[in-house]
Formats: sequence, structure tokens, C-alpha cells
Amino acid sequence: MALLEAENITKVFGGLMAVNSVSLTVEKGSIVSVIGPNGAGKTTFFNVLTGIYKPDGGTITFDGESIVGLRPDQITQRGIARTFQNIRLFGNMTALENVMVGMHSRLRSGVWGAIFQTPATRTEEKRARQRARELLAFVGLERRMDELAKNLPYGDQRRLEIARALATQPKLILLDEPTAGMNPQETAEATELIRRLRDELGITVILIEHDMRVVMTISERITVLDYGSKIAEGKPEEIRTNPRVIEAYLGRGAVVEAQMG
Amino acid sequence: MAVAAIPTPIVRRTLRMTLASVFGPLGQVFLFVVGSAVVLSVVTVLIAVLLRGTRTDVDLVQATLVILPQVLIDGLVRGFLFATIALGYTMVYGVLEFINFAHGEIFMVGAFAGAAFGSVLASSGVLSALPVPLYVVVAVLVGMAVSGLLAVSIERVAYRPLRGAPRLVPLISAIGVSLLLQDAVRLIANLSGLGFNARFQTPNFGPPIRLAEIPVSPDRAIPLILDVRALTFIIAAILMLIGLNYLVNATKLGTAIRAVAQDRPTASLMGINVNQIIALTFLIGGALGGAAGVLFGIRVGTVNPYVGFLPGLKAFTAAVLGGIGNIPGAMVGGIVLGFLEAFVASYLSLMTAGAFSGASYADIVAFGILILILIFKPSGLLGEAVSQKV
Amino acid sequence: MSKSATLPQAIATQFNRGPLAYAALTLYVLVTSALLLANTRTSLLTDIIFVLFLFGLLLIYRARVVGGYKLALAAALLLGVLPYFGTQNAFYVELAIQAAIFVTLALGLNVVVGFAGLLDLGYVAFFAVGAYLWGVLSTPQIAQIAPGASPVSPSMFYLFLAVGLLVGTIFGILLGFPVLRLRGDYLAIVTLGLGEVIRVLAVNLDRPVNITNGSQGIKDIARPPLPEVLRAILPGLGDAQIYQIFIYLMALLVLGVTVLVVYRLKNSRIGRAWEAIREDDVAAVAMGIPIVRMKLLAFAVGASFAGAMGVLFAAKQQFINPPTFDLLRSIGILAMVILGGMGSIPGAMLGGALVTLLDLQLLPRIAMELSALKRQGIGIPDWFDPAQYQRALFGLLLILMMIFRPAGVLPDERRREELREGEAETSAEVEPAAQSRAASTS
Repeated sequence: MALLEAENITKVFGGLMAVNSVSLTVEKGSIVSVIGPNGAGKTTFFNVLTGIYKPDGGTITFDGESIVGLRPDQITQRGIARTFQNIRLFGNMTALENVMVGMHSRLRSGVWGAIFQTPATRTEEKRARQRARELLAFVGLERRMDELAKNLPYGDQRRLEIARALATQPKLILLDEPTAGMNPQETAEATELIRRLRDELGITVILIEHDMRVVMTISERITVLDYGSKIAEGKPEEIRTNPRVIEAYLGRGAVVEAQMG
Repeated sequence: MAVAAIPTPIVRRTLRMTLASVFGPLGQVFLFVVGSAVVLSVVTVLIAVLLRGTRTDVDLVQATLVILPQVLIDGLVRGFLFATIALGYTMVYGVLEFINFAHGEIFMVGAFAGAAFGSVLASSGVLSALPVPLYVVVAVLVGMAVSGLLAVSIERVAYRPLRGAPRLVPLISAIGVSLLLQDAVRLIANLSGLGFNARFQTPNFGPPIRLAEIPVSPDRAIPLILDVRALTFIIAAILMLIGLNYLVNATKLGTAIRAVAQDRPTASLMGINVNQIIALTFLIGGALGGAAGVLFGIRVGTVNPYVGFLPGLKAFTAAVLGGIGNIPGAMVGGIVLGFLEAFVASYLSLMTAGAFSGASYADIVAFGILILILIFKPSGLLGEAVSQKV
Repeated sequence: MSKSATLPQAIATQFNRGPLAYAALTLYVLVTSALLLANTRTSLLTDIIFVLFLFGLLLIYRARVVGGYKLALAAALLLGVLPYFGTQNAFYVELAIQAAIFVTLALGLNVVVGFAGLLDLGYVAFFAVGAYLWGVLSTPQIAQIAPGASPVSPSMFYLFLAVGLLVGTIFGILLGFPVLRLRGDYLAIVTLGLGEVIRVLAVNLDRPVNITNGSQGIKDIARPPLPEVLRAILPGLGDAQIYQIFIYLMALLVLGVTVLVVYRLKNSRIGRAWEAIREDDVAAVAMGIPIVRMKLLAFAVGASFAGAMGVLFAAKQQFINPPTFDLLRSIGILAMVILGGMGSIPGAMLGGALVTLLDLQLLPRIAMELSALKRQGIGIPDWFDPAQYQRALFGLLLILMMIFRPAGVLPDERRREELREGEAETSAEVEPAAQSRAASTS
């Protein structure tokens, strides 16, 4: 059964069709990629899926339930987590606290619990802290948990964002360019981490990525967007040879060249 | 996208284009003036008709109709007051996305500059000899100069160092400036002998103009009068609005201002000195505020250091009502708010048989409108001319 | 931590270590207490000593001594020396009461402005609601609203502290709900407008039904009855003196409870959510935090403190009128929070104390000294009264803080510093954060 079914998603800004009737089906336990040139509407598509933008048309079904019109926090609570293209950590909070913020919707204690420090609240806090440490260990940041997020090196910030997203206990995680700006070594590590999300934690992954090596090695299916529309979809090898994709990325000349060669 | 909005500079403007870009927005303002006046009048009269039975002592409908022309004039004056101040808020907001909280005080300083000017002239004995139009022009120019320069200095000292800081930081600084100015002016006014309640001395404006006689009963007629000072206010405000529209829509400087408002980094890449343009925006906004202050002083006769606060707040409301960042919007918002206030202030006591004092509740109405607009239509009546950056 | 410490910092660190810290702190506290008790006359000298005495509290907070000792010293100062001094000089206790009330208000506003990042310029509205609640219900004013009704008994005061809390919360939710979706700067202006609306209503709601008694205000507001215990503890004092100490202790108690509550909230799931919203609201909502609800919660918590303090304030002053609750009061409380450091609990306390002292002690003192000069024939104009220049004071404070030290005098050092220290001193097994938190709460 498909975990996520987005059908004919459309998002308009002013007169601009940022996303034009895009459909995407994601099977449970798969890793799929959304690729396309800059400005193709990938991030806008993510923003629609996570409720930051309301779609102007289309339906989104997640885990058998429509999530169109829900607030972003409600969608997160239903089990979709995300990271951001331009890392958005809580810079003045520690790595551990960032992860604990991610647990917000999974914790129960409220104002009274906090004020009176009830046993339930204290146990919950203790468990949350423990769980946050485990998540940091999972992404390899256990040694940096007390550092401020803004002081972490770039690659660690990306990993912290993933740990924070994991803290929301997602069924589906949306990663927006998780390897952007990384060197080959870091990219390889990040790719491995993404694979572990699925293999060890059983989380379904949707990826926006520019690095074709990452996309081709890791994804089972790829969706290509250009000017807000879906121009191709398929397995990596199909996408690699698809003339429309090559055209979108490299221009018409490249297609001719590829066909000649 | 942002670049496309800047008109190509090569085209030479024809007179017709200039006139269109100046009077186009003013036409819109005019429509709103007439529209809101008509709508409010009709609604008020309808309410009066509905409530007619509740009062035996007076004929509500007649009472309503008799004061209606006066209320409209009052609304127009209030409206232009808010509009001229609102322009300062909206221009600065358009360029910096920053609420210049001290703008009400810049208006107040303009009023004090006018009062000081009047008292200097009076003590040298030339005031009463001065022809009224000349006096108005010079006094307004004095107010504009003082307030404009003040606004520029404030920007330089208290806002520019904070550019790029989180939104609330310059706002808090602006609140500080606002309070400091109130007390600074109080101190100076006391030192200079103007006093806390400074008299606004002017030449004699002459008796009010009698426009018509409204017959109330066969043997009694109420004159419809127009105060010369109110008339001065309206005329001067209209002239300034025309001037501003010319400046912003039909000159190179105006183009630069609009370019900075659209996209600051790009404008600076195009060779526009952004700091200069921002200072200029403060200068123009401040000058308009100062002019409004002088005209306000002429109309009311005395000013004190706190007169800027409420009009400032209401002018901000007007700017939001019209769509903040939008210049015709500020004028429209000001006029509409002015009319609304005038109607509430004049009719609330009448309609409720004196149970509620209209003048006090007019303030509440203004804030109520602010809240409603922000909740239900944050882009204001005319929408946002500058698109929101995502 | 101190890679590039300046000389004063280096000296401070030197003194703030080991047994020397205990000795220096104890000496300071003893000397200032002795000086204070030796100078009971109201004068400029006593003013200075009083400020130095209160500064001791800050030193106690900052010193590196065990929590128990800190607590003992602070208790000795606040519950022993200060009340005793108060029996000799009522003026300074009155000052301390005012400071306690405004520190509590600053702590409440700090939840809204500092924790959640919502600039609320109409905070005093909730204070007014609490004050009018007790003011109307405990005086014959009640008969104006409900003919025949009689005022509630003064002993109901304690219950009304809780009612004030509740009413504050309700007003916070009612006023906050429509406006909390707004962007930060709009929210500031709208809250300012709401604050003004409440004040205008206080002036005008004497018609058609006389609820607030208009601009005349409400007088002869009931005070809680004096507990007999205090009379027994403090023999030989007049009722007025005992009563003042009673109010002082009550204000201190409310303040203490408030400090505990805000500390615990800050270090909870809710505090983390507020901080996340302040840092980046888009990321916060993507992490599953319901932003509007959390903002509303901050607003309501802040308002509840103000509501309760309003009840206490009305009982203490016995008279309230609309100008007590004008915009300047809101700005004054904001200045306290900003001076101390937004989001910082010790900062809000320091800011509250400093601004209250400046406002009620320093400015009037300068005014008095000036009038003394005038009597000696030095030309100081009659109209110049520094005590009337609060706006300039608050205004300058806000501008200078924003330009030179936006994080405040005592910035929110946050748990991270404590975390590191805790980690170094304890083994890795235990929870360093929980430990140091416990230490910092005491």
C-alpha cells in the first residue's frame, strides 16, 4: 500500500505556476528522489506536502488519511518530518535541545506538570533526554550534544537536522538537499545515513537532491520536475537516458549529442 | 521578477504620462473619499430612522441631517490629517519593512516648530501683518524642514546601526525615540518659554465662511459654516499629496525609492545608493509629518508634547487599513478612518442618548478597525504594492 | 569559558573561587547590612547604601558558593535585615515592596517577550483588570453595578489573588486569541492599542452603568486583615509598621512563587517550544509545535501573573485610577525586561529592581537635591522636576540598550553554560543538566 499519494498538486504564486498538477506516489519503505533544475518547484512541492503552503488544487493522502488543509504541526504529528534546504536549526539551543524540541508532539506534560514537577513529567523528561541522546548517537553526534547548534560544523548541522526530524517519530521523512555543500567524503557518509534511515529505522524517504551520484545510487524511483511540472518518473536507469530529462538539465543540444553518441 | 518592475529609464516621459501617474492614484483616493462619505451618511441616516421611536425629546433624523455636513467636513480634515501622517509610516515601511514608531512624535515636533515660528513672529510684531497664505506656506515649510531633518537624524543615530538586527530590535529603539522626543520637546518648550501647552499663534484667518443656511423649522435656520483653518488644511493636504505623487511616480528619485522598496540588494547592484535613498525616504516622510503638524496646530490653536501619540497611532492604523507600504493606500486609509471617526464621535452620543461619549469611543473604534483589518485582510484595502518576500 | 577575559573579569574570577568567594561574599553582605542599619535616616547616603545592599543579592546569585549558603544569605537579607530596617525607615520598605511587585510583573512580561518573543506593549491591561477586579468588588462601588450588593469581605483577598490569576488568564486568552497570528511588529502595535482600549474603558465606563467610577478612580480599597501571628512576632510596633512588613512579606512570597514557576516553565517542554518559536517559527511548526497555541499559552501565563499582581497592587495602594495603567507603565515594565536581558530570569529581576529604583528613588532624589540647591539661591527653574522625566529615562534606556547591548545587562546565559560546568564536575553517568538545573533553581 502506498504511504503517500499526492495527486495533481498545484500551487500558484501570483501568476506563476510554481507546482503544476504534480502527482507522486511513494510506497512504504522506499527511497524516492525528486530532482529538477533550480526553480523547478521541488521545495515548493515539499512545502505543500508538509502544510507550510496550502495547495491550490489536488489531494494528498498520507497513511490512508487526507492531510490537505492540516496545519504543518498536525502533519508532523501524523508522521511526516522534514529537513530544510537552507538549514533551519534553533541556533542558540544545544544539539540535544534541538532534538528534544523535535519530540514536542510526542510528549504529554503540560503547564501544570512543569510547574509542580510531577513524577510523570520528570520521568518523561528523563526518557526524552535519553531518547535524544540515542538519536544523536544514531547520526554520530553524541559527542557534540551540548554544543550550540550554530557552532556546529556544516556537515554536523545537516546531521543534526536529520536527528531533530527523527525525534518527531516520522513514518516519512522529507530531506531537502541533504548533501548540498558537502565534500565527497561527507556526501558518502550522508548517503549512508539516509540508507540507514530506511534499513534500520524503517522510515520511508523522499529526497530532493542535486548530486546525481547520490540520487542514482540511493533511490528506487525518481521524479523529475521542470518549471513546476513533472516531466519524467521512473527507475534511476530510465531517468538517466530520458531525453526530456537531459534536455531540462543540459539543453536541447545535449539531447541531440546523446542520441548521436 | 523584481527588476521587471522598474520602468526602463530610456523612455522620455510625456506630459500625459506624468499627469496620469500623478493623478491616477489621486483619482482612486477621490473615489474612496466620495464613496465612504456617501456610504457612512446613508448608514447613519438609516440608523437614525430605525432609532427614531426611541427618542421623544428630539427628532433623531432631523438632528442627524442637520449636523451631517459639518460631520463630513470634520471627517475630511481628520482624514487628511491621518493621511499625511500615514504617508510617513507607509513610505518607511515600504523601504525598510519597519514601523517607525516615533513618527507620531515627528509630527508633534513639526507642530512645535510651527508654534515656535508663530511666537517668534508674534514677538517681533510682524505676525498680524502677514498675509494668511504667505504665513501658511512659510510655517509649513518651517515644520517640514525641522521634522524632515529630525527624521533623518533619528534614522542615522537610532535605526541605521540596527539594520539587519531582528525585527523587534529597531522597533524597540523606535519606541525609545518616541518617548525621548516627548520629554525632550517638553524640556525645550519649558526652557524656551513656549510652555507645556504651547499657543499656536497665527495671523487672523477671518470669520468662517457661511456656505448655506439649513432650514430646521419655518422660523429657524442653522448656518452651514466652513472654518477657514479647516479649508486651509484640506487645500494644503491635497497639494502635498499631488506633490508626493509627482515625486514618487514621475521622477527618477521616485523610481529609485520604489526600486529600493522592491529589492534592496538588487537596487544597490543597479548603482543606487541605498543609504541615501533610505535617508531620503525618512526626509520626505518626516517633512510630510511636519507639515501635518503645522496644519494641525493652525487648526487647533494649542499643542503639547503628547499630541503626536494618538494621531500617530491612528495614522498607523490608516496605513494598515489602506495596505501598508502602499502610498495611495495610506491616503485612502487615512480618509476612510477620518470619516469613520468623525461619524462615531458625532453620532454615538446622539444615538445612545448620551450614554456613551462619542469622542472617547472613537479611539476604540480606530483600534477595533486596526485589529479587524489585521486579522481579516492584512493586505489592506488596496493590497500591498510591494510583494511580500518569501 | 574565559578565553579572552578582560582585567576586571580576571579579578572577579580570582575572587570568585574557593574559600575566598565565601569570605568575600560574607564580608560584603555583613558590611552593607551593618551600614544600612547604622544609617536609618532617608538621605542620599542611605540611598547609595540601600542600592549596594541590594547589589549584594546579585553577588549572591553570581557567587560560586554552594546553593544552601546562597539561600541562607539571601533569606537573611530579605527576611531579616530588610524588614528590620523597615521598622526604622518605612520609605525603603515601600521601595522594596514596589520593586517586588514590578519585578514580578517583569518576570511575567518576560515570559511573553523573552521566552516566546512576542512584543506585548499593552501588558499593563491585565494588571489593570486584576486591580479593578479587587477594587470594584471590595468597595461600595459594587453597589453601583448590582444595586444592593455589598462588598466582599477583606479576608477574601487571598482567594481573589487566585481569582485575579484566573481572570488575567481569561483576558489573556480573549485578547490574545485574535491577534497572536499577527507578525511580530503588528502584534506590538495591536497590543499597544488593546492596552489603550482598556485604559479608555476604565475612564469611560462610569456611564451608562458606573463600573469603574471613571477618571475619579476607586478609593478605600480593602486590605487583607493583618494576621495576628505577625503582631505576636513583632511586638512593640505600631499596626501601620507591622502592616507594611506584612505587605512586604506577601509581595516577596508572590515573587518567590513566580520565580519558581517561570524557572520550571522555562526548563520544560513548554519552555523549549517557546524558545524554538522565538528562534525560527517555521522550523518550530515543522517540528510539530502548534505555534498559535503555544503563543497563546505564553500570553495567558504572562497575563495571569499581571492579574494576580493587580489584586495585590490595588490592596496595597488602596486607590486606583486609570492613569495608573497607562502606556508608560507598560513601557516601563518592558524597559525592565530589556535592561535585564530578554529571556533571562535573573535579568528580568535585576532590570525590574533597577528601573524601579531609578524611577522611584534616583529621579525623586535628584529632584530633591535640586530643590535644596534652589533654596540656596542657585537658579533652578520651578518647572524642572527630574521625577517627571520618566519618559526620557525609559526612552534613552530602550535606545541605548538596543544599540549597545541588545541581549541585556544580565543576558540569558542559558543552561548550556551550566551544562558544561555540570559535566566537568560530575561523572558522565548522571544527568548533568538535571543536576545543575536543580542547583540553579534554588
